[in-house]
Amino acid sequence: MGNKLKLMLGGLLLSTAIMASPTLAEDVTITVWSLDDENQPAYNYAKEFSEMDNGIQIEYREIQFDDVVSESMRAFATGKSPDIIAVDNPEHALFAGRGAFLDITDKIAASSVIHADNYFAGPLNSVSWEGKLFGVPKATNTIALYYNKDLYKKAGIDAAPETWAELVDTARKLNDPANNVYGLAFSAKASEEGTFQFLPWAQMAGGGYDNINVEGAVKALDIWKTILDEKLASPDTLTRGQWDSTGTFNAGNAAMVISGPWELNRMLEEAKFDWGVALLPVPEVGSARSSAMGDFNWAIFSNSKHPDEAFKALEYFASQDDRLFPEFGQLPARSDIALPPTGIALKDAALKVFQEQLKYAQARGPHPEWPKISKAIQDAIQTALTGGATSKEALDQAAAKIETILK
Amino acid sequence: MNEYGQKIWTSRLLLIVALGLAVIYLFPLYWMFVTSLKTGSDVFATPPALWPKVPQWSTYAEVWQSKNMARYMGNSLYIATGTMAITAILGTGCAYVLARYRNMWIDIGLFLVLMLQVLPASLMVTPLFVGFNQIGLLELPRTAVILALSAKTMPFFIILVRATFMAVPHELEEAALVDGNSRLGAFWNIVLPLARNGILVSAILIFMQAFGEFVYSKSMIQTSELQPASVGLNSFMGPNTNEWNKIMAFAMMYVMPILGIFILLQRRIVAGLTSGALK
Amino acid sequence: MRALFSSLRDGKGFDISLIAIAMVFLILFSGAPLVYNAIMSFQEVDIFNLGTFIRPWVGLDNYRSLFADPSTLPIFWNTVVFVFSSIAGQFIVGFGLALFFTLKFPGAAYLRGLFLVSWVMPGLVVGAIWNWILSGDFGILNHFLKSVGFISENIFWRSDINYSLWAVIIANIWLGTAFNMILLSVGLAAIPRDVYEAAELDGATAIQRFRTITLPMMRATIGAVVSLGLIFTLQQFDLFAAITSGGPANSSNVAQYKAWEMSFREYDFARGATISVLMIVVVMIASVIYVRSTKQEVRG
Repeated sequence: MGNKLKLMLGGLLLSTAIMASPTLAEDVTITVWSLDDENQPAYNYAKEFSEMDNGIQIEYREIQFDDVVSESMRAFATGKSPDIIAVDNPEHALFAGRGAFLDITDKIAASSVIHADNYFAGPLNSVSWEGKLFGVPKATNTIALYYNKDLYKKAGIDAAPETWAELVDTARKLNDPANNVYGLAFSAKASEEGTFQFLPWAQMAGGGYDNINVEGAVKALDIWKTILDEKLASPDTLTRGQWDSTGTFNAGNAAMVISGPWELNRMLEEAKFDWGVALLPVPEVGSARSSAMGDFNWAIFSNSKHPDEAFKALEYFASQDDRLFPEFGQLPARSDIALPPTGIALKDAALKVFQEQLKYAQARGPHPEWPKISKAIQDAIQTALTGGATSKEALDQAAAKIETILK
Repeated sequence: MNEYGQKIWTSRLLLIVALGLAVIYLFPLYWMFVTSLKTGSDVFATPPALWPKVPQWSTYAEVWQSKNMARYMGNSLYIATGTMAITAILGTGCAYVLARYRNMWIDIGLFLVLMLQVLPASLMVTPLFVGFNQIGLLELPRTAVILALSAKTMPFFIILVRATFMAVPHELEEAALVDGNSRLGAFWNIVLPLARNGILVSAILIFMQAFGEFVYSKSMIQTSELQPASVGLNSFMGPNTNEWNKIMAFAMMYVMPILGIFILLQRRIVAGLTSGALK
Repeated sequence: MRALFSSLRDGKGFDISLIAIAMVFLILFSGAPLVYNAIMSFQEVDIFNLGTFIRPWVGLDNYRSLFADPSTLPIFWNTVVFVFSSIAGQFIVGFGLALFFTLKFPGAAYLRGLFLVSWVMPGLVVGAIWNWILSGDFGILNHFLKSVGFISENIFWRSDINYSLWAVIIANIWLGTAFNMILLSVGLAAIPRDVYEAAELDGATAIQRFRTITLPMMRATIGAVVSLGLIFTLQQFDLFAAITSGGPANSSNVAQYKAWEMSFREYDFARGATISVLMIVVVMIASVIYVRSTKQEVRG
């Protein structure tokens, strides 16, 4: 057999292989990292997108909340980053500010699916850096006040507290150590959760991460301290996250809890009492409202080899936003999507409050050094609450630290 | 007769004390089991229930199915076996030499073995990740974990097995050498069999430790098909999703097989230890 | 060539190759990462230059800023308390159990095996369980202490700055008792019975026998147990992450957790590495002490 023949045979084999599977040969594989599991949106969207006949396959990796940043920057530093990542919104600027995320302003402007105008201001702000868009909000959430209506009735209280003073008062009335009931549950943990819960209080009183030691913020921290000193909330508030704190509410061991809509499904299933949701109390009657803004954003890494395909995937994800609430219980970050009633009275009522609260939600940052800023705030909260310093001293210290970071 | 009766009573008393101690010590294990049978919010109830009102056995089936536990367990087994093998093969020889001599170089060796293990895995993983990536080892993620983990478990093994070799009478080896054995022959035929129990016990302990390894696997193994059960367990833990009952159910299923194997094997292990076979 | 082979099989080469293989392995997979950490502590490290060695050199700046931070010294003190208390607790309980199980009674072997349970449990799970047990309101430990009347008010183990470090120490003692017990059991089993019998005939009391026979003959084992205990304790990370996260207000924070926080919470890798270098120095001193203690070992 001559070499020529071999060559011809080889060519023949090759061409039949190509003809047999025209799409396979051209299929592009992109990787997506997100924290969603099989019951949550990203996992399902990625699967659906891969099954479509568009020549793009998605390799999906589930990654834990705590590991998103460390894993992805390690991957980015070694050139092994995914094409698309879902990142917690305050950490978006950490990547965008260093050029790790792709600027998709032009792609969004040209897109027929994603329109920047449709997004709430807060979430959109979190994907922006220096006037450019570096991602698309994946979903959004915020916090409000859940309260146990049965316990309210027993204590003769008929309305949820509107102001901070009323909140403390109500908590005092509901506090019932003999029956193992705390007035309030929340989280002052030394993690992003603590910052997430405290910042709205500071913002309502005219403060913010860039002026954390204003008088109102000091007052807010004083109130937190009162709540803990009088044991109106469990001392474990200092080391417990929001999910566990809400667990004590569901079990009937706390009369109120400050938490978000991600709790709705669990609460419906496990709380054996009537409950409601109210907006976060404000400093004084008529004060400006504010709230925290949570949840994740989508972004494309700047070293992605398939930015166009990745953007197509984002377009698909965004096009499914109307399924977020009915199917997965998450709130879309968009004003153009109406959320149909679920038929479950408790849930629908709660949803209304959360939608209202969302209007006041503010992004944390955005700032590339957010983790350090947040750490300074957490330290202040913990120092003040454990009596290491007065609220004023602790927040002054935090403000000084933050100032050197912002400079 | 009297003395015999007294003996029986002493041993019964000792048994009762031992049982009491075991109950106290094993309580966390029991608590894991009870928590796995509670509903999500029952877990937070005050006062805590020692036994749930309605045990939720269905949690187990749910967790087993939704998390594909068989695959996770297979990967844990793979990693634990590999780590045990590498640690035992490399560590035994090293321990033998470190036990045989007494000079400055041995001191330096012992010193290095200990020294190299100071940092927790969480601080070692970044450099290892960077290095492994450079040599392409991350393409074989489970192998990468086995190598990294073996380096972590080896000092424990070496120090343990070294103590075993110390207990092997030097004269026996000398005699074998006088009889015309080579060093390799004396090591293989005389010393190793005498130290067998100690090596076996240490290897099993390494296996168990590797079975629960988490930090390296989490960072180095990115495809879920190859991840061990510890990483699967972690997927239940998140700020908005800590489902403690499921975590504990998963943990029960994770720990039980290895505990079972251990209880079956331990008679042999413990018998080997106490009969003085180490000497 | 033949000389080389015969040396490998039957001479110094045999010893050297046995030890060299293990050492090269350890230096590659444990030593190199340590060096990497040490280098980072003198550099300015950014999350995006992690993958390279060429980074801005800052000399001792990281060390200076670390010691200028008022939270650093308390954290190092916590580390000392944590390490000493944990090792002492593990050793005492472990030795007690090991001695207890040398007594002969039915089922002794089985029951001793059960104490190894903590060795089998993944760190993540141990942390989660102790988190529950030590919880202030619904923790079973408080419930138990209250029902036997030791305390009248709940102790907030995790959240009271006076107890938080001890909460982790308790869990760590539980965790480490198993390996202390098993190693010490091995050591005890290696002591020949007849030595005790002879001493008993000479009229030595139990305490005398313990002091004059058990302790001296166990010296090598005790050295190994304590130095391994030091390593395990300094590596303990899962328990901090699960029980207190170093809080509240750093009251239960220790060097290894702080180093991780610096690196993976604030993304300040250089200062994280700086703390690890300081830890290495401390363990270096401890290792020297261990190696010196092996000088008195007796070969069987």
